[in-house]
Amino acid sequence: MTADLMLLPATLPMERTAPPQRAPRPMDEARFEAFYRAHAGSLWSYIYRLTGNRDVADDLLQKSFFRFLRANPPAANEDHQRRYLYRTATNLAFDHFRETKKERGREIADAGIRVHESADLRHDMMRVFAELKPQERVLLWLAHVEESDHQEIAETLGLKTKSIKVLLFRARKKLGEILKKKGLAS
Amino acid sequence: MNDVCRREPDVRRAAATNGWSSELRSHAESCPDCAAAAAVSPWMAQFAALPDREHRLPDPSVVFLKARLLQSTAVAERAMRPMTSLQVAAYLIVAAGWAAMLTWKWGMIDAWLHRFSPARMVLGATSDSAASLSITFFAALLVLSSVTIMVALHTIMADE
Repeated sequence: MTADLMLLPATLPMERTAPPQRAPRPMDEARFEAFYRAHAGSLWSYIYRLTGNRDVADDLLQKSFFRFLRANPPAANEDHQRRYLYRTATNLAFDHFRETKKERGREIADAGIRVHESADLRHDMMRVFAELKPQERVLLWLAHVEESDHQEIAETLGLKTKSIKVLLFRARKKLGEILKKKGLAS
Repeated sequence: MNDVCRREPDVRRAAATNGWSSELRSHAESCPDCAAAAAVSPWMAQFAALPDREHRLPDPSVVFLKARLLQSTAVAERAMRPMTSLQVAAYLIVAAGWAAMLTWKWGMIDAWLHRFSPARMVLGATSDSAASLSITFFAALLVLSSVTIMVALHTIMADE
């Protein structure tokens, strides 16, 4: 038995005769629609919580899907596709923050005025979340809402997995302090 | 130090739903990472549950169509890139040709143009300097003018 096994060729005939890998076929409309319906809602919520702006969320959502279709990630693994989508959306959101860096102070001030006027729970919570840095928002949302593990978060942010633990701890501490200061946590 | 606590997902869920077991609660009290996660989990759960559904998402077929259109535009732009480079090179060559010719024969062109000044026309001055504008010059002028017109026509037609 052992001798038989040792005589087996290193490569099986099936593997040797396998045709060369072709580029994946572009996603057709039906498959895209199913994928979009499954993930667009949660992705929109994520971008909206990150940016605090519905129009920007709409815009970045569409851009994320445009890039997704252009990149055409392998369809075999939907989880991989979902992660690709979140990574793209995160990069686009960070680009948006860089582009609007000068205006950000004004945006937050405007948001503050709206919060004061409407005294709405959503705006209160958005205001609290806006006090965090974009990277901290991403960390907290992915860990607590998307339930991503540290490796997935590291992939999304383009960081080392080892650093996520520390960064996430700090983000949680910071949010905890903000909540305490506002009397929203015990 | 960098190990992630395996109980963290359970702690997060328990804190978000207030579904604590006594064992899990005592673990969370002793583990700094889990304590930090537990402190913010209820708020994060409430934040995530804020209703967004009233917001109408863009239609998937529209997104798909736009994506395909953008892709075709990108492909067309990529295909046009060598043509655009060629066009820019043609502009530069034509501009350089005109500059070279004007520099080369400026003295004679200037003299030839002065033939048409009123004083010279009244006096009926001879066109000694103009005579030196050779056939080669006029041939070069013709070629450059033709090339300029061709480049201009190509630009207009390509834009259309």
